[in-house]
Amino acid sequence: MSEIKTAAVLCTGCGIGEALDLKELARIAQKEGKIGVLREDPQACSAASVAALHAEIQEQGLTHLLIAGCSRRAKTEAFNFPGLALARCNWREGVLWSVPEGENAPELRQEMAADYLRMGCAELKKLKLPQANPKAAGNRRILVLGGGASGLTAALAAADMGHEAVIVEIAPQLGGWAAQWWRRTPWRAPYAVPQPTGIDELVRRAADHPLLRCHLGATVLETRGAPGRFSVDIATADQGQITEEVGAIIQATGFTPYPIERLPELGGGMSPWVIDQAGLESLARASDGAPIRRGDGRPVRTVVFIQCAGQRDATGRHLAYCSGHCCATSVKQAMYFKAAQSDVDTVVLYTDLRLPGMGEDFYRSAQTQGVTFVKGEAKAVTPQGEGLRVAFRDLILDTDSAVEADLVVLATGQVPRSGTDIDLPEEERAVAAANSVLKLAYRQGPDLPQLKYGFTDSHFICFPYETRRTGIYSAGPVRRPMDLAQAMEDATGAALKAIQAVESAAQGRALHPRSGDLSYPMVRLEGCTQCKRCTVECPFGAIDEDENRYPVFNESRCRRCGTCMGACPVRVISFENYSVDTVGSQIKSIDMPDEFSEKPRVLVLACENDAYPALDTAAMQGRRYSAFVRVIPVRCLGSVNTIWITDALNGGWDGVMLLGCKKGEDYQCHFVRGSEMAAYRLSKIEDTLKQMGLEPERVATYEVAITDVERLPRLIDEYVAKMFEIGMSPMKGFA
Amino acid sequence: MSEADHSSAYRREFLAEVEREVEGGTWVKMCMQCGVCAGSCPFGPHWEHSPQKIFMMIRAGQREAVLRSESMWLCTSCYNCVVRCPRQLPVTHIMHGLASYAQKLGLAPKLQATRDFSLQFWENCTRTGRVNEMRLTLGLYFREGLVAGFKQAWAMRTVAWGLLRAGRLNPAELVGGHRCADANGIKAMLAKAREIEARRKAQHGH
Amino acid sequence: MNAIATNQTLLVIGGGISGMSAALEAAECGAEVVLVERNASLGGRTAQIYRYFPKLCHPLCGLEINLRRLRANPRVRVLTLAEVTEVSGRRGNYRVQVKLAPRYVNERCTACGECAKVVTRTIPNPYNQGLDTIKAAYLPHALAHPQRYVLDASLLGSPEAEAARAACPVGAIDLQMGVETIELSVGSIIWATGWKPYDAVKIQPYGYGRYLDVVTSVEFERLADPRGPTRGRILRPSNGEPATNIAFIQCAGSRDENHLRHCSRVCCMVSLKQTQYLREAAPEGAQATVYYIDIRAIDRFENFYQQVRADARVKFLKSKVARIVHNAQSGQLVLHGVDTEGYHRYAREHDLVVLAVGMEPETNGLDLPEDLIRDASGFIEGSSDGGQFGAGGAAAPLDVNRAVQSATAAALRALQVTRAAARAEELKG
Repeated sequence: MSEIKTAAVLCTGCGIGEALDLKELARIAQKEGKIGVLREDPQACSAASVAALHAEIQEQGLTHLLIAGCSRRAKTEAFNFPGLALARCNWREGVLWSVPEGENAPELRQEMAADYLRMGCAELKKLKLPQANPKAAGNRRILVLGGGASGLTAALAAADMGHEAVIVEIAPQLGGWAAQWWRRTPWRAPYAVPQPTGIDELVRRAADHPLLRCHLGATVLETRGAPGRFSVDIATADQGQITEEVGAIIQATGFTPYPIERLPELGGGMSPWVIDQAGLESLARASDGAPIRRGDGRPVRTVVFIQCAGQRDATGRHLAYCSGHCCATSVKQAMYFKAAQSDVDTVVLYTDLRLPGMGEDFYRSAQTQGVTFVKGEAKAVTPQGEGLRVAFRDLILDTDSAVEADLVVLATGQVPRSGTDIDLPEEERAVAAANSVLKLAYRQGPDLPQLKYGFTDSHFICFPYETRRTGIYSAGPVRRPMDLAQAMEDATGAALKAIQAVESAAQGRALHPRSGDLSYPMVRLEGCTQCKRCTVECPFGAIDEDENRYPVFNESRCRRCGTCMGACPVRVISFENYSVDTVGSQIKSIDMPDEFSEKPRVLVLACENDAYPALDTAAMQGRRYSAFVRVIPVRCLGSVNTIWITDALNGGWDGVMLLGCKKGEDYQCHFVRGSEMAAYRLSKIEDTLKQMGLEPERVATYEVAITDVERLPRLIDEYVAKMFEIGMSPMKGFA
Repeated sequence: MSEADHSSAYRREFLAEVEREVEGGTWVKMCMQCGVCAGSCPFGPHWEHSPQKIFMMIRAGQREAVLRSESMWLCTSCYNCVVRCPRQLPVTHIMHGLASYAQKLGLAPKLQATRDFSLQFWENCTRTGRVNEMRLTLGLYFREGLVAGFKQAWAMRTVAWGLLRAGRLNPAELVGGHRCADANGIKAMLAKAREIEARRKAQHGH
Repeated sequence: MNAIATNQTLLVIGGGISGMSAALEAAECGAEVVLVERNASLGGRTAQIYRYFPKLCHPLCGLEINLRRLRANPRVRVLTLAEVTEVSGRRGNYRVQVKLAPRYVNERCTACGECAKVVTRTIPNPYNQGLDTIKAAYLPHALAHPQRYVLDASLLGSPEAEAARAACPVGAIDLQMGVETIELSVGSIIWATGWKPYDAVKIQPYGYGRYLDVVTSVEFERLADPRGPTRGRILRPSNGEPATNIAFIQCAGSRDENHLRHCSRVCCMVSLKQTQYLREAAPEGAQATVYYIDIRAIDRFENFYQQVRADARVKFLKSKVARIVHNAQSGQLVLHGVDTEGYHRYAREHDLVVLAVGMEPETNGLDLPEDLIRDASGFIEGSSDGGQFGAGGAAAPLDVNRAVQSATAAALRALQVTRAAARAEELKG
């Protein structure tokens, strides 16, 4: 290990110099912190000071720098020292602006600042400069699963950016559903009439593109590896097998229409004249612009479209969701009839017509062309003579009514072709695995985790592409129900994410949300007990197991949350700049008052994205909280190793507060399961507390949002008050 | 139309007829059933079917129910609905158009006050080119028969007395009455207008 | 300044969620990006949203993640208080004039807040839609980036400006700052200029601007937010009493040829979400009624709609409200209209009315480059030369999730242009 050369700048700006005894603090940094180079600065963030610092780093060959001053979230542009291990000690927001005013404020501030300085020094010495993933692999090729409109768009987008692209399509030809359509819904002004699908052009471009290859009639046999180095075994149409080496994968496997046979009450499967929207596209293509005829050659004089067929269903028998596109699709299809023969009766039965945005113009256009819209609830479709009778409730006229028709089109929904639901119970999963699409050779299952209703959507409103399998993105109707225009837009975005994934993987950097992070998980396998907790708990499926059941880290699948580090009972997993030691040494570094001082110490482990900014904000707004807490930001509550808690309690800390994000169905943890895992682990800590003879209240977890600026100081004060109530920890003085 | 026979329900026959025959009829299909016309109408509480509901009934093919309805006769042309309609339907014109078409077909409800007033007013003023108020008033009072007429005239006696004293009502009008200088000219104008209307209808539907 | 931008640089106009996303996604692919924001800080309208549907999570959480990404990425150059005034040139080689308004606070600022302590003058608080006031020396909001104070121009020339200057311990206040204009060379442009709420005053029968208790959905968002003017209590503006019977009127401006001809897509979900704010803000049991034409809870949001439907405190009436009248005696607002499902006339009293106002492009009414292609409502489709792109709310009325998706797609298209420019350059070289 190379030599460490540490320095610290103690900033005295923003009132720090007046409020704190800097001399004493400097002595602590030198004596206890063993900091090599130490100086005070009246405004460390000023251009002059920063320039001086850069010079000093050069001249003295500094490797580690501690800046004691403001929060790590402030002045980041100024304190930007690439190539240097940097720690920040939060005196301004964490002490000056948060310690309640009062007689003993100067004393409490000084103690708090001193502890934070000790913690900063302790952390600094444990930091290593991240060197990026050494196993970084730079395959820049992109594999697209699915050759429909979404897949073609994604592959072409990547190829146009100079990346090789490979399409794997299960059908013998490209084009997907859209290739079987007569026309598409207009997607730009004027939103008046159905438009050519443009699929032929996409297929032709794909065939001609020098960077694009296709495997038709092909399926995936197995997908191994990680971003930058995926190996995908493919079964080809000629019974052969080949392996594609790629850097990232886009899953654009589309949808299947909900089967109308499940809707016998609406005539599905009961009459050949009850068809779905795909069926109507076939009829329209067959008639090629002439008046549309049924399969028996009978011209259609009256057609009824039944919206939400088998969708928005509250009974649990059909699809619970709305597929979004079907209103516009029925409007489009009604226009097919009108375009060929204006006196055909076209009736659209709907409960809520859903044509958002400029779809309103399309709706108007259909009305202009004489399409009849009826707000009504379909009850039954039964044969009548040569045709059908649609019984429904007219919701406007508030009567039971009926209409006779030659043809009924059921607007059924999109069922995603997302493969296996890996969250199924183990025994069901084995059966479902046969349907797997990606066939991932991952410890946590063969397909992308699903969000809801089988769609592989992201859980995050701000980050629609973030799946839980790094470097594998999903696009089009498999991600979320959508129409052609949306699918193509979606595929374009997914192509960007795939390109980003291969670029980042090549440089050994993390992807969202710790984008650019060069640290990566390191494991000391010689200490590993093969307990498998890390492989099971990783929210991103980054860790596999080898034949001896040792964990195999796939660093470029890792999102650097540290959940594995929190899970590991023998503490063999760490990051260069975030480890059991970097935090543990801070916990051990403080000056612990004795039992009789009536100065409790409460350790606060706070999610760095939500709880920690909430504390900063509270301080900025002058909201004060107890000076008996010491706050350490953590990457995620999932990264909290219980050793930190037991060490703290053994060391005489009176209580430990863990501040994480909301868990449960609407979880807000951006590492998916971090706060859930923390809660689970802590539910087991009660026994340990008992053994130590400590009250269960000494460890508490809270769900805190970034907006809890008023609530959080209150929570802290209440918790500290509780510590006074139950008394100081009996463990003090034994450490 | 009986419940069992739906062969013409929700078909375009009646809508097409309305589009062909009724002023503003081509707009009926553009309604999106928001109901703002119904909520905006000052006569709302008094009629059976709101405009938006009439538009739906037209789509449903309820020809008799629409044309025999009294509702559109109640329109006072306040235009609240027209200015608020998000689809800019000329609701007022459509109401008058429907009323006029129902009248033409002889389906308009008998003894409907607006209808009777309109008919009498038209007949009254096109004959001489001027409104004979005496005859118009009495014509309306006695439209439901002798007894009802006397009752209503009696009820209005103080108003009549006031008008008489102010010189606003001339009993002599009952027998003769004044006319405009060129009553034949008025008739010629009306004949020309009908001719133009018929020509336009032949060309464009309405 | 020219040095930071070349024809391989991508310009993103607008620093809201769409602009930030487009800039970050492109930069994380290795592109150089200039991000231009008209306001003093990034975040746009999403920073003013209390919670997102359907998770009811907090927009600031995602904003913090994006700010982290931004701070960690030297490839994005952020210009705030900056407005694009002119675009010339063409695809692969644009010249853009950017006007920088003075902040009167330079980069020495540490956000310590000493200046605000000596300033007493207040201005309407833009963060809270002007529903309350802030000091004229202010930090735009809790997560403002850059984390620097702003001195409002109204202070200039007053003794308070001088006092603020004197109070700053680091000499960050510069009262001599003036308007600056810079020129950038860029290869492609993303218009992420966002949306604005339709001017509700124009919807005359609803009385916005005449009746204090008629507010817009954008204002209601601030009322429900603990950071808002009422600290999260939903109070009637007329008398400060808690609102207990709230009406939500859908399509206020949208789907209306007299106003906005398009459907604004998000308003149904916004109102559904806002009915749920009552659970937190008025636990004693406020009622809500949603007046709608069609509920557009598209795709899996249907689930959220069904949840709200099941909430006994929320009623749904299929009706476009005809007009609102103030009952002077009760102080209530009377909504007149017709429940079109079966034709039931109503005159229902409410103590607060929220207009779910439509979205129109923020750029409507502004001078834009002639070759931008816009639809009938002014949303930006692209440019005739294929080098400029619309993203997010500037391109269509979209919710945040779809806006980010749109911005990501726009980033790729813009990258294709700058990469092509780079390849052309290589060939020349």
